[in-house]
Amino acid sequence: MAKKVFEEIRGITDPILEGISNGWVTLDAGDYTENSTLEADVAIIGTGAGGGTTAEILAKAGLKVLLIEEGPLKSSNDFKMDERQAYKDLYQENAGRMNKDGSMSILQGRCVGGTTVINWTSSFRTPEQTLQYWGDKFSTKGVSKDEMAPWFAKMEERLNIAPWALPANENNAVLSRGADALDIPWKVIPRNVAGCWNLGFCGTGCPTNAKQSMLVTTIPSAMDEGSQLLYSARAERLIMDDKKVTGIEVTALDKNYRPTGITVTVKATTVVLAAGGINGPAMMLRSKAPDPKGLVGKRTFFHPTIFSFASFEQEINPYYGAPQSIYSDHFQWDTVDGPVGYKLEVPPLHPGLTSVLLMGHGEAQFDELNKLPNLSSMIALLRDGFNEDSQGGSIELADDGSAIIDYPINDYLWEGVKRTHLSMAELQFAAGAKAVRPAHTEAKWETSWEDSKAAINKLDYSASRALVGSAHVMGGMTMGEDLDQCVVGSDGKYHYLDNLYVIDGSVFPTSIGANPQLSIYGMSCRLATGLAEKLTGKKLS
Amino acid sequence: MKTPLEQALPTTRRGFLQLGLMGTATLALGSTIATLTGCTSPLEQNSEYKFLQPNDREFFAALIPVVLNKSFPGDADYDAAMKTTLLALDDLIYTLQYHNRIQMRQLFDALSFAPIRIAAGASWASWKDMSPKKIDDFLVSWRESMIPQKRMGYVALSKLIGICWYAQPASFAATGYPGPPTKIPTPVANKTSITSNISTAENS
Repeated sequence: MAKKVFEEIRGITDPILEGISNGWVTLDAGDYTENSTLEADVAIIGTGAGGGTTAEILAKAGLKVLLIEEGPLKSSNDFKMDERQAYKDLYQENAGRMNKDGSMSILQGRCVGGTTVINWTSSFRTPEQTLQYWGDKFSTKGVSKDEMAPWFAKMEERLNIAPWALPANENNAVLSRGADALDIPWKVIPRNVAGCWNLGFCGTGCPTNAKQSMLVTTIPSAMDEGSQLLYSARAERLIMDDKKVTGIEVTALDKNYRPTGITVTVKATTVVLAAGGINGPAMMLRSKAPDPKGLVGKRTFFHPTIFSFASFEQEINPYYGAPQSIYSDHFQWDTVDGPVGYKLEVPPLHPGLTSVLLMGHGEAQFDELNKLPNLSSMIALLRDGFNEDSQGGSIELADDGSAIIDYPINDYLWEGVKRTHLSMAELQFAAGAKAVRPAHTEAKWETSWEDSKAAINKLDYSASRALVGSAHVMGGMTMGEDLDQCVVGSDGKYHYLDNLYVIDGSVFPTSIGANPQLSIYGMSCRLATGLAEKLTGKKLS
Repeated sequence: MKTPLEQALPTTRRGFLQLGLMGTATLALGSTIATLTGCTSPLEQNSEYKFLQPNDREFFAALIPVVLNKSFPGDADYDAAMKTTLLALDDLIYTLQYHNRIQMRQLFDALSFAPIRIAAGASWASWKDMSPKKIDDFLVSWRESMIPQKRMGYVALSKLIGICWYAQPASFAATGYPGPPTKIPTPVANKTSITSNISTAENS
């Protein structure tokens, strides 16, 4: 019988509550009872990896910063490692976000700190091949490996990023053991943690503040400099006068994330859009911002993520321990722009999320979930956006102005999905799995690699059969100097407005080919430093 | 508050959830007829539910024990487990953005209408009178359908029910999940959670 590793967590100070008690200005837009106006030098829409990094740099440069966040403000006292509460408080659409045809589930943060509050801490520099591709195909400047290296180094130091020093948990050890058996190279994942307890609950908000998310690093630092934080506040649209943004119309939201009827107008000299690749483009479309070539919201990428389950004789306890610590890029770079490449990793398996990933019902699903302590899973992240058959999705607007994510999984991607099922099954059997089932509604548990391979080769790969997930939202506001493809300049400025900057993962011209948080931190650090220098006239770097 | 007709029309017009062979027209007709004939059931006044109407709850109450099988009601009393799961489903669907929320509304409205149920592979009987075997057959037929919209319906329904139940501590014994550690919050200035300090803001 599986047992708890830790019974109780106590004595963790809450840096957000302490900050508020020390005089931070944190404003719950839902509490406004009449329309109001706020002013700042720079308004930043979004508080995730892009917005958080930008806020600290601009605030330290002496600028008056206002952060605007759609989600609520939650902090370590609220983080109880409870899936119910976490999905409701910290995830877009209660963790139920999907693409338009329902073929892909998308996990994305919606709280102060954004996805950095709920990610699994994997921190990789943008691969050199990806940076090279951007320069070659999109004329993106200043993003070569050598030019980016100091920005990554700076953020690695800021967020204590280093390869995980403790042994991998059993779930991750399946990947390294299987890889060793097949002579496939693997590595240890760098993580942004300080004093990590190795609990396994990164995805429900770190209860010990070990994860160096924006919530406990850059945002407190910006707040200490006198920045203001407006939360439960959705940036509805930009207010524009010719080629200048003069303000932002902000909708106040109640505890159920519905408009209270109150509008807060934010006036700012400069606006930074850092709302991610879904909500950022949707806000631009609602604003009818100038976009002569209709490129806003195009080329959205997701690292479509494919799952394979394995059952073991021994206990895996896949819900405990650092959720991601081992990866393999063996299948990633055979070619840069040919058949889709993929990164292999491992996901944590908490029961609510696992029931979704297993995609089933009735007795068959009960039999699988009943053995959760002995279950392991592997994931493959498809590197989308590097081939003419992988042009990404597009963001559309629903009748109420909310985003619709049109990202069909096409045959180019399905071909990759099938290959990932084969590689993952082979690795899982090589690691000693007694049975393997790819996450596919028609797949059965097979007890040998040969049987599994034969079964996978017969599966029908189409929407709502093979499970496709995503935890990485990228693109939609392509950065580069080629105006036929790009809407944002290499300095982050929106090509068609004078004082709007886009600083987050939406500027990536393709997916990254690795968990994107450090890519966003590094790029944001570069762009925000440039912006701070431009606005203050002082040299910072 | 929109009337059921207003909730149904904008989407049926565009035919978001086209149930394949049945065709958009059939669904539009079914969903609209269900509305016009009062076969849908608006939310009661002062309901503790924000989205799920009585018909929707009846539908889920029939599906839940079939989808969750022996894990349900776990450590909890049956009625209490059902209520908790329905409230969790209500909360989740209410939080979905417009496009997905409307697709759910349309799916529930259509499946509450007997002729559509027959066409969709279930039975004339209302959901509460359908045998578990018949409900399982319906789920399997949607899972294995050639029509992507039916498969999407299957995946959506099974996922929603799964996450709303297996995240509940009452299900942990069934999965063998030992559960998370207990978190003891640390009070700061006599507070353990965030309260607004809007009054301190400088309003311009």
